[in-house]
Amino acid sequence: MNRRTAIKQFFIIAGGLTILSSCLNDGGASIVLNKLKISAEDEQFLGDLANILIPKSDTPGGKDLNLHLFVIKMVDDCESPENQAKFVAGFNKLRKQLNLANSKETEAALAGLKDKTDEKAFFDIFKSRAVQGYMNSEYVMKNKVIYKLIPGPYNGAVKVKA
Amino acid sequence: MANLNIDSEKNRTYDAIVIGSGISGGWSAKELCEKGLKTLVLERGRDVQHIKDYPTTNMMPWEFEHRNEMPFKVKEENPIVSKCYAFHEDAAHFFVKDKEHPYIQEKPFDWIRGYQVGGKSLLWARQTQRWSDFDFEGPARDGFAVDWPIRYADLAPWYAYVEKFAGIAGNHDGLPELPDGEFLPGYPLNIVEKYFKESVQKKFPERKVISARCAHLSKPNQIHIEQGRVQCQNRVLCQRGCPFGGYFSSNATTIPWAAKTGNMTLRPFSVVHSILYDEQKGKAVGVRVIDTNTKEEIDFYAKLIFVNAAAINTNLILLNSKSNRFPNGLGNDSGVLGKYVAFHNYSARIYAEYEGLLDFTAEGRNPAGGGYIPRFRNLHKQETDFLRGYAAGFGASRSKESDRSGLGLDLKNNLLNPKLGVWQVGSHMMGETIPKESGMVSLDSSKKDDWGIPLLKIAVDYDENDEKMKKDYIAVMTEMFTDAGFTNIRPDTHWQAPGLDIHEMGGARMGHDPKTSVLNKWNQMHAVKNVFVTDGASMTSTSTQNPSLTYMAFSARSVDYAISEMKKGNI
Repeated sequence: MNRRTAIKQFFIIAGGLTILSSCLNDGGASIVLNKLKISAEDEQFLGDLANILIPKSDTPGGKDLNLHLFVIKMVDDCESPENQAKFVAGFNKLRKQLNLANSKETEAALAGLKDKTDEKAFFDIFKSRAVQGYMNSEYVMKNKVIYKLIPGPYNGAVKVKA
Repeated sequence: MANLNIDSEKNRTYDAIVIGSGISGGWSAKELCEKGLKTLVLERGRDVQHIKDYPTTNMMPWEFEHRNEMPFKVKEENPIVSKCYAFHEDAAHFFVKDKEHPYIQEKPFDWIRGYQVGGKSLLWARQTQRWSDFDFEGPARDGFAVDWPIRYADLAPWYAYVEKFAGIAGNHDGLPELPDGEFLPGYPLNIVEKYFKESVQKKFPERKVISARCAHLSKPNQIHIEQGRVQCQNRVLCQRGCPFGGYFSSNATTIPWAAKTGNMTLRPFSVVHSILYDEQKGKAVGVRVIDTNTKEEIDFYAKLIFVNAAAINTNLILLNSKSNRFPNGLGNDSGVLGKYVAFHNYSARIYAEYEGLLDFTAEGRNPAGGGYIPRFRNLHKQETDFLRGYAAGFGASRSKESDRSGLGLDLKNNLLNPKLGVWQVGSHMMGETIPKESGMVSLDSSKKDDWGIPLLKIAVDYDENDEKMKKDYIAVMTEMFTDAGFTNIRPDTHWQAPGLDIHEMGGARMGHDPKTSVLNKWNQMHAVKNVFVTDGASMTSTSTQNPSLTYMAFSARSVDYAISEMKKGNI
């Protein structure tokens, strides 16, 4: 079986349960995806979720930094087909259970995912990718936890400031 | 018409041909060109010019499409090269993808390659330790392989010669098993590495933990400035190619130096098919090349040929160089060509934590990577149930980690305020493996690559000696870690195929006797005096030290010898 056929079949199988279903006609994701089918509505939802995970304060939140797009991109390109299927299946289940308008309620729901295998699988991937995107974002690396291309001389014994 | 052919042949004739432009080929080219020989350097891959062709070198982490992670599809299509620790978005363009040059794994072997000008010298881990007589005398003392036809004294001046030009950072440690060299200032051990060194020293005075020696310009000399290189900036992004020329690569160092003489012709996209042998003359007369763009077959001619294609490809070329005189490969009267291929046993690592010295941390990045433990097992005499021994890397680091639990503002706050964790320590083994006749590469009788060259079959494996050595390494390190008060000690013995160490050696080994070796003590073919092999293929045994520095020394020494032989009319 060639790769393209394999991918198509994956989407028909996974697609039955998923994102693909109701959202076909309301526009796609704002980034080019090879495997995942993400609608504009899905994208909106994931953006709101990114803002609940990393809220806006005096510094930008998850949605401002487009962490949801980063998550989708990484799941699309870097996760295995198995993890992609988990991501999609868990997302479809979880989104029906969350009321993102109420962030307190959502935080509580997300904190209580321990026994919901599918939903937890989705959220674990979402969170770890979003955190990866956040810590590697230009904003954080330039302003907060600073990355230096040229770090200066190596010092192997620096007294830690109290 | 006849005249045209003569002209054409003349245009394809040089004084010397160097096959390959990596660490050893770059050195051969530099030495030949400096000594006035018109030299053709053949490279199977594309050209990579210093700085200009390092597209990722100044990229910030967020500028990589996948934050330096390789996409799943690439990993799936490249199971071999994906195992290499440096195969990420920032350097993937310097690695050969699995499909580009297939080979047959009769036994699992991860063949990691870099086909471009500079070869793997762009990607290497830059560790440069001299060999000593404990290494050169190994096969004779312990009864394996064949006796090395050289001793440390033969190579010592050439180590010094290449070190001065390449730039090697290290300390004068005064160890007979790891001779000192012409060093630039060494990089320091950090406070926990030093603590471990002292802890080991107390109980085992014969075991040394020293700063790893590496090919970095810690403090450049005039000769390095003349090369256009400046001080290493401790970026430790070396695999991208260094815009400062902070570490030694052919691209930054030997190739531009050779070019400056006006004597070098560099021909990329030239896969060597075979070396041409003339029975009448009793010599090699040239090299047959396939142009990878046009697939055209072109012969080049020279009086002197240096084979520096990297260990396994050098074997491939020699095996494929068949003639009436050498039906089994060039210079293969002994039948050992392609055999006695060995590697370094990198299949064990150990990790732990240290909760002491928490008042201190380390800042910046260490180009040397930390500490190095030279071989101490069976050094002066046989004392274990396995032959030879291992060197080990040792490093300690302390980084700031963020608490990633929870969500919302608490999570955000934690992420933005990482805290210093405890010290993380780790070590990896670098074991000597014993070359065996069964460890071999050979040509497939029917399958060919895109250039019509037979596919290579690789059958190289670990043996019982390697297993015993691995167990010993874990036991020894566990004991030394425990003594040092390290906690959460985690041995990691997951198997990795030979090859992933990227230290494959042998196949065209040096030796005294033409009946049991391919090369003599000058890395010169016993049977074809104008062919020299100065890369990993020439290695009689593997020792434990990273081998590249020894290839550099071989190349410079052999060119010097070849030219003196040419002057005497012997070549």
